[in-house]
Amino acid sequence: MLKLAARSVGRNAQRSALTAAAMVIGLALLIFSRSLAEGAHEQWITSAIRIGSGHVAIQAPEYLESGKLEHRIGAVGHERALRAVESVSGDQVLAHTPRLSVDGLASSAASALPIRIEGVDPEQERAFSDLDEKVEDGRYLEPGDRLHAYVGVELARRLGLKVGTRFVLTAQSAAGDVEGQLVRVVGIFRTSIPEMDQGLIHIPIETAREWLGTPDAVTTVAVLLATSRDTDRVVSELRDALAGASDLRVLGWRQAAPELDSALRMDDYGDYVFHSILFAIVALAILNAVMMSVLGRRREFGLLQALGLTGAQTGWVVFGEGLFLTAVSGVVGMVLGFLFTWGFFRNGLDFSGLAESESAWASAGGMVDPVIVPIFHSSQVLLSLYFILIIGTLASIYPAMRASKLDVAEAMKFDR
Amino acid sequence: MSRVFGYRVVHMSLAATASFLLCAPAPAPLAAQTAREIIDQVDRLMRGESSHGRMTIDIVTEHWSRSLDMEVWSLGTEHSLVYVQAPPREAGTATLRAKDEVWNYLPRADKTIKVPPSLMMGSWMGSHFTNDDLVKESRIVDDYDFEISLDGSVDGVEVYEFTLTPRPEAPVVWGRIEEQVRKRDLMPTWVRYYDDDGTLVRTMTFSDYEMMSGRLVPTVMLMIPADKPEEKTSMTYHELEFDIDLDESFFSLRTLRARR
Amino acid sequence: MAPDAVWWRVAWRNLWRNRGRTLITASGLAFGYLSAVVMVGLTDGMVAELIENGTRLMMGQVQVHSAEYLPERNMHRTIGGYDGVDLEALLARLEADPDITAAAPRLYGGGLLSSGDETKAGLLYGVDPDREQQVSTLLSRVSQGRLPVPDAYEILVGVEMARQLSLSIGAEVVVVAPASDGSMGNDLFTLVGTFETGTPAIDANYAVLPLSDLQYLMAMDPGRVHEIALTVTRAWDTPLIASRLAASLEGSGPQLEVTPWTDLRPELAEAIGLMDAVNYLIAGIIFSMAIFGVANTMLIGTFERRREFAVVRALGTTPLGIGRTVVYEGMILGAISLAVGAAITWPIVVWWHNSPPDLTSVLGGFSFSGSQWRPILRIEYSYDTPIICAVALFLTAVLAALYPAWKATRVPPADALADR
Repeated sequence: MLKLAARSVGRNAQRSALTAAAMVIGLALLIFSRSLAEGAHEQWITSAIRIGSGHVAIQAPEYLESGKLEHRIGAVGHERALRAVESVSGDQVLAHTPRLSVDGLASSAASALPIRIEGVDPEQERAFSDLDEKVEDGRYLEPGDRLHAYVGVELARRLGLKVGTRFVLTAQSAAGDVEGQLVRVVGIFRTSIPEMDQGLIHIPIETAREWLGTPDAVTTVAVLLATSRDTDRVVSELRDALAGASDLRVLGWRQAAPELDSALRMDDYGDYVFHSILFAIVALAILNAVMMSVLGRRREFGLLQALGLTGAQTGWVVFGEGLFLTAVSGVVGMVLGFLFTWGFFRNGLDFSGLAESESAWASAGGMVDPVIVPIFHSSQVLLSLYFILIIGTLASIYPAMRASKLDVAEAMKFDR
Repeated sequence: MSRVFGYRVVHMSLAATASFLLCAPAPAPLAAQTAREIIDQVDRLMRGESSHGRMTIDIVTEHWSRSLDMEVWSLGTEHSLVYVQAPPREAGTATLRAKDEVWNYLPRADKTIKVPPSLMMGSWMGSHFTNDDLVKESRIVDDYDFEISLDGSVDGVEVYEFTLTPRPEAPVVWGRIEEQVRKRDLMPTWVRYYDDDGTLVRTMTFSDYEMMSGRLVPTVMLMIPADKPEEKTSMTYHELEFDIDLDESFFSLRTLRARR
Repeated sequence: MAPDAVWWRVAWRNLWRNRGRTLITASGLAFGYLSAVVMVGLTDGMVAELIENGTRLMMGQVQVHSAEYLPERNMHRTIGGYDGVDLEALLARLEADPDITAAAPRLYGGGLLSSGDETKAGLLYGVDPDREQQVSTLLSRVSQGRLPVPDAYEILVGVEMARQLSLSIGAEVVVVAPASDGSMGNDLFTLVGTFETGTPAIDANYAVLPLSDLQYLMAMDPGRVHEIALTVTRAWDTPLIASRLAASLEGSGPQLEVTPWTDLRPELAEAIGLMDAVNYLIAGIIFSMAIFGVANTMLIGTFERRREFAVVRALGTTPLGIGRTVVYEGMILGAISLAVGAAITWPIVVWWHNSPPDLTSVLGGFSFSGSQWRPILRIEYSYDTPIICAVALFLTAVLAALYPAWKATRVPPADALADR
């Protein structure tokens, strides 16, 4: 039966090719758009969490809600956390970095503004976030820096700061006293994310510890993973490793950065709608094509039945054809889609022409680079293939049934 | 939101006075080392100093003008209490600073609120003095290095001019401060504040020197921002007493709430 | 040569001789039409929802300010300067405009809210509760308690702020704000309600009070407001409406600036522009597939009708005649598909538009860029979309018939008849 099906498809190569074309293009398009969407999302997540608290964050239990210095991790807790992170299996962890964060005031001769101050380890931070690459003037922090601050371009503008200018940080120390700390601008960055450009600075973590009277302390251990899809796995691994530590809490980025989570889900929703429609169109194309092929071959079927094939068997032949066609177009479509996307756009598809202002690409604390690099996930590709096969199968049922009910005599009647 | 009431201003005038008392009068040039020692001694003296006074502060900005009458107590550099007595709309408002806590009493609401440091922004009571001026404990000696930039005569008056540059790690926003002091009585005449680039940001001038509680002090201090010369803040003392009987317990919420 | 009418009749009959094929192709095209209209409608719907959510929560679709107010938002630069305006008159004048459906005045203040030992910075939002509800949806998000009543020292805060200050309904809140005369306005308010938007930035930082109360706190006359927010009749025409309104307000009265939401939130406008682009992409895809489908079936048809064409040719029909037949078949097919397509699309779109399915229970709500967003599958339709799609459909059918028609003219009669 299958042989018959395959041969009949082969015999009418031109016809088969045409009917397959619709499916191939549909699938290729699906692969293209899904991989772009995946790429865009991954970028978005990555940019937000790299400047934020990572894919996974280890903090003191109350820190997320309070944001206060009193809820920090001490030396012992920090050690434990680091050991746990080092012990995570495989290559899932790309980098990790300690942070000591406070909300405080930045004052210059010109003005004063409230900001978020992140004490960071320059070397580890370089590997972790890409803030060091957004330098507009000066340089990023380096090991050995002490009274150096890396500030956003908006903050610099409002406080009248240039590279080398002094300004004073004021915040409440661990003891409850208001302490001032002198720093000088060592570099100015531009992220195009307004909240960052006017409200965030990086200073060396040792400087922050000295200033706030919190030796060896951190408020967050931020962990960067190879891909955001490993988040849940790594979170549970870390939770197991830190099961006894009541002074530590492990959080995935969805909990630590809920705004980002919301924004992504909303975007996903838009994608689902689009892809559903695409699937519907592909299904339609398949149905149309197979139906057409059935109708055009009444005589042929009549002949087959005259030669001894039952109605049911005819039906199976048609069904087999449909399936075969779907499978072949499925694979071809996938390969085509993959080749097309990877071949032309592996370095990214540049959408920057579509939006004029840079900040159109920023939302929820993250940024999508206008150049979107597509990402393929085997699971996602297989899922698409799976759906196409199902659709192809379903679409072949009706024509197969029609074929099986053919009236032999009638079919043979017309010389076509 | 007010913080420590102009003790710095008071301090500087007192420091100048004290240095007059402690060192030889005019003709001999003042060595940098001696100047620093003087200020240092005075600074330590000031730690136990208490004061009580009444003053008027006049503020002129682009959008409004305002005049406030106040009564002030201060103890060292960590405690102060300010009451606003006039105009009626603001009468009864009070600010207490005790160590690192700041409280405001608001008469219309009849409530006291605690003001966290992160909310201290911009100007003190809408004036051209910033909270930054008044927040930090006086550490002129620790924060700045002195240099005598002029020892001579300006407009027929014999003066010293000092240039203060911040020490490498001092948490101060000014790149440089210059001040002029009259030789004959060591009264300050003006102070100029510069940013890190050397641009003048604001100027404070002193005048109307009078004897108060046995000391010569400038009773009028005027602050003018360099970028908006039509705006200004002037503080005028009407009364000032020193070394009164005050201790830390006076600076409490109870006192804050008890209206005078 | 036979008159044109003949070819039409022949084309018509050809189509009906192969009923199955004709119907399938027609329904394919019709369905393509339905998908295109629905798809565009859906994205338009998403766009409309986005605009609504982005603008209706607090911003309003158009904002009127003093010409000097933006971008610094200096508190002293009220509409009409220090003297303010005759507020009722200005509001009436704005509402008289045919494109404006509602107007609401607002005053903004930055200050502190304090309860017990906790003090927090907040944004004070002075509104006219009745008018505000016509322009924004913030006041409809009251989660507990009720809206404040003017001149009673009542205040409404976000749930997150209430939590941070440990406030419950009926609690006292001290409100302090710099006033227009430089003094510190302060007073005691009673919390009468809390609102929840789902957006932390709003729920933690905003406090709503009646306009007159905030004016008094900030030492401002009743005629002084910072902003008047407007709702327009057609959200997507907002920039046009705004500039027309600005022109009509010029001359008499204070110097005003009329700003549409597209300028206030350019990133939102651009996100929508992106979606429009996606619309075209989708429509393009759908029609490409339709072309394929039609060309496909017509080509198949052409192959299978070789003998038929050969016979007709042998009987004396010119190749051009055959070509015309095929093209006419395409056109009739297109017309039929259109008719069917329109017939099924119209009721579906109308029904969907009037009762859009709400997927909130399935997908949950989201908060994004300061707006709460509920996943309601909504369709907006304008009159041009279906017409454009119809024309495209028709052209598609005709274009798709061209290649097969050309192929049909090339069939050599003798070969075809001999099955070679």
